[in-house]
Amino acid sequence: MRAPGALRQWTDRLLGRGEAAISVPVLDGALKSNRLLEDAEVVAELDAPEDLASDGRSLLVADGARVWRFDASGARAVEHAFDATISALACLPGGGLAVALGGREVRVLGGPHDGRRFDAAGGLRLNAVNALAADGSGRLLATDGSETNPPERWKHDVMELGRSGRLIEFDLADGTARERATGLAYAFGVGVNSDGAAWVCESWRHRVVQVDGAPSDRPVVAGARSGPRPVISGSPTAPRPVIDGLPGYPSRLAPAAGGGWWLTCFTLRTQLVEFVLREPAFRRRMLKEIDPRYWIAPALTSGNTYLEPMQGAHLKTMGVVKPWAPPRSYGLVIRLDERGLIRYSLHSRFDGKNHGIVAAAERDGWLYLLCKGRRRLLRLSVEAAQASLAAA
Amino acid sequence: MNAATPILALRKATKKYSGVPAIEDVDFDLLPGEVHAIVGENGAGKSTLTKVMAGVVNLTSGEMLVEGRAVRAQTPTEARELGIAMVFQETSLVPTMTVAQNLYLGQERFFNRLRGIYIAAQQFMQSLQFDVDPTAVVSRLGAAQKQMVEIARAVLHNAKVIIFDEPTASLTPEEKKYFFDLIANLKKRGVSVIFISHALEEALQVSDRITVLRDGRHVVTDETRRFDRARIVQAMVGRDLSQTLYGQRKTSVRPQGRRVLSVQNLRMAAMVKNNSLSVFAGQITGVFGLVGSGRTETFKVVAGVAKRDFMHGGEVLLDGRPVRYFVPAAAVRDGIVYVTEERKLEGFFETRSIADNIYLGLLAKLRGQRTLVSKAEAATVGEHWIKRLAIRAIGKDVKAIELSGGNQQKVVIAKSLIQEPELIIFDEPTRGVDVGAITEIHQLINRLADEGKAVVVISSYLPEVMSLSDRILVQRMGKVVEEISALDATEEKIMYAAIH
Repeated sequence: MRAPGALRQWTDRLLGRGEAAISVPVLDGALKSNRLLEDAEVVAELDAPEDLASDGRSLLVADGARVWRFDASGARAVEHAFDATISALACLPGGGLAVALGGREVRVLGGPHDGRRFDAAGGLRLNAVNALAADGSGRLLATDGSETNPPERWKHDVMELGRSGRLIEFDLADGTARERATGLAYAFGVGVNSDGAAWVCESWRHRVVQVDGAPSDRPVVAGARSGPRPVISGSPTAPRPVIDGLPGYPSRLAPAAGGGWWLTCFTLRTQLVEFVLREPAFRRRMLKEIDPRYWIAPALTSGNTYLEPMQGAHLKTMGVVKPWAPPRSYGLVIRLDERGLIRYSLHSRFDGKNHGIVAAAERDGWLYLLCKGRRRLLRLSVEAAQASLAAA
Repeated sequence: MNAATPILALRKATKKYSGVPAIEDVDFDLLPGEVHAIVGENGAGKSTLTKVMAGVVNLTSGEMLVEGRAVRAQTPTEARELGIAMVFQETSLVPTMTVAQNLYLGQERFFNRLRGIYIAAQQFMQSLQFDVDPTAVVSRLGAAQKQMVEIARAVLHNAKVIIFDEPTASLTPEEKKYFFDLIANLKKRGVSVIFISHALEEALQVSDRITVLRDGRHVVTDETRRFDRARIVQAMVGRDLSQTLYGQRKTSVRPQGRRVLSVQNLRMAAMVKNNSLSVFAGQITGVFGLVGSGRTETFKVVAGVAKRDFMHGGEVLLDGRPVRYFVPAAAVRDGIVYVTEERKLEGFFETRSIADNIYLGLLAKLRGQRTLVSKAEAATVGEHWIKRLAIRAIGKDVKAIELSGGNQQKVVIAKSLIQEPELIIFDEPTRGVDVGAITEIHQLINRLADEGKAVVVISSYLPEVMSLSDRILVQRMGKVVEEISALDATEEKIMYAAIH
């Protein structure tokens, strides 16, 4: 059975079809570009922003090893400080805060489960926890992006075609942890929908999948794994795509007021990157010999140095920077309804600055956005954005 | 303004096809040694006007004057004798012959000395400053060189007027530059040039005067220096919509449903170049573009009527699933139908009855599930669809050829809808259709979108695109270059995007 597969792979590569088709979805329909992200108000400049959360009263921002609390006026104060970089943040429904430190440990601060810590699941140590979401039943869901690369080496993971992401469920009451889904192509972002199912972003497959409730017979595995991965009976339910073929790399999901979600995409796919991803020899040499800042790879920011590779050329024609040129970095936030249909989107185009949006939180009619590319906290009025799109 | 007698003039020129005017009461003057650009939308009457001059078609009424003398060019040969030559987009050269042989084609003597022809051709081409080897076989020449040979042949036949129909459509930028030099050269030799182009910049660059046609009527003629892009576009599209079927401006659009079709980086020869677009359920997606923009070809690939490039042809995803159809039947089974713009050629069997034609649609869908053709079923199906689409005919057994254009189109649509498609592509759905049927076809298209189907309407007629569509995709040079919401669309905006 391998021969036809190998033959197909070979013909696909020759003819540029199937898996080897170097094509990317277009930004059209509800994804048509605009300047709403670019025109968003800058609330604060930050050092190393990573994640956002809202406890209903104020906004919490993970910035390096600190958690800032922002009030409505934009004034900020340090809420927590740690000895490691925060890689994810979530407010818990019963009070308290969950933080992921360095991607390798999840801690609960305050609330009824204060002091709870997790550092492994399914027999494996946590490695790249990059998003947290709590449901109303005392469970905390986390996405562990990769078994091999820590959060800051995400670019290595995409170039290595990483497929080792996991969705993990922590039971805050009894302190147990279990895998709900494995083999994800960089799990980055999780939310719990109204049915209790988890929606997980798979960045390198450009999609959002639904992982239904965990089977009850799954063994709870706690503590670090030593030796080979244990064989688990009763495999978890296979993830089902709810949004497929996104034009960008999805990151975190945040609930939207009135139902649905805000989905952030930290950059757009391009034909050049898709091409490089299908050229193993080139990628291996690039990973070995080139500084990661100059790889032909998705980027959170661009225009910093002339050494950056141009993606798709046409950056400048007749002395004018084309806003629709293929981007190296881009800013994109997508408003989804409850079914995962795209309602509208916010953009910072190629010629903009607010690129690399990795987190969103809606509060009091304002949408707060974390722009990791420019290390900024942004906000825009949801109503004004909708009005602007309706008028366009 | 040059007060010289026009070398060529048309007065009250009207040409009707089956009673429908393609041009009506058009007055036109061409001065000696002038480069005159004719611009207008698709269907504005540019080609008909020039075909009249070149003797390809004859006027229904009005007159043509050459150097002030009323003439009647019934055939291209007669027009050539009057000094009028036309260079078509597709060259009329014999590809297997040499340049010299093509130049002297039709002027051969009983005994020909090939060397003599080559020497004469060489001298003649040099006098025109055309750098083409007279011994070269035409099939090996580039597009620009073929045009040079066409022009040389016209000049050799003492053409005083040379008409170019979209001469630069297939030329590279370098070849275009060369072509413009040729035009300048002809002008110096006193030859008058008529130049049809969708490329406004080119018209503004090379012409002395510009004439704008709209809906078969003359709108304006003026010196080029008095035109700019905006004035031309305004003249091209500035019709009063309130006086037409399409007077109602859209005040709301249907919300976007799921993405039914995603075309990604599609390529098909020179016609479709890296084209990407999406079509959503519950919406009408209008597709506008000038001739040669690759609209029809893109959707023919989607529907399996044409094939994309064999290598690196891009992807077509139907409901997220990659598809590649080699025949339309496979697309039909997946729920895609293409309602052709060439209904007489591709849409129906003209000598078969209405019922038979519609039933054929069902048989195509049920391939393999019907071993026998049922006359009774065909009759039932025919009667049902005649009623449903209000096809006006004496009965279901009337042959398709005996129907009016509008009813023929309804038969083609019925043949497609019987296949219960999810994605329906209408290509020029109301071309050659009477006014009453246009309204009915539009209502039907709207109903399909309201039912949640994904509908694509390809149209060259701006008011139709604007009145039907929820979103409008504009194609130019083989790819979608702009998307405009129907609420935000104006004719000027769409036309700006469509021209280069």
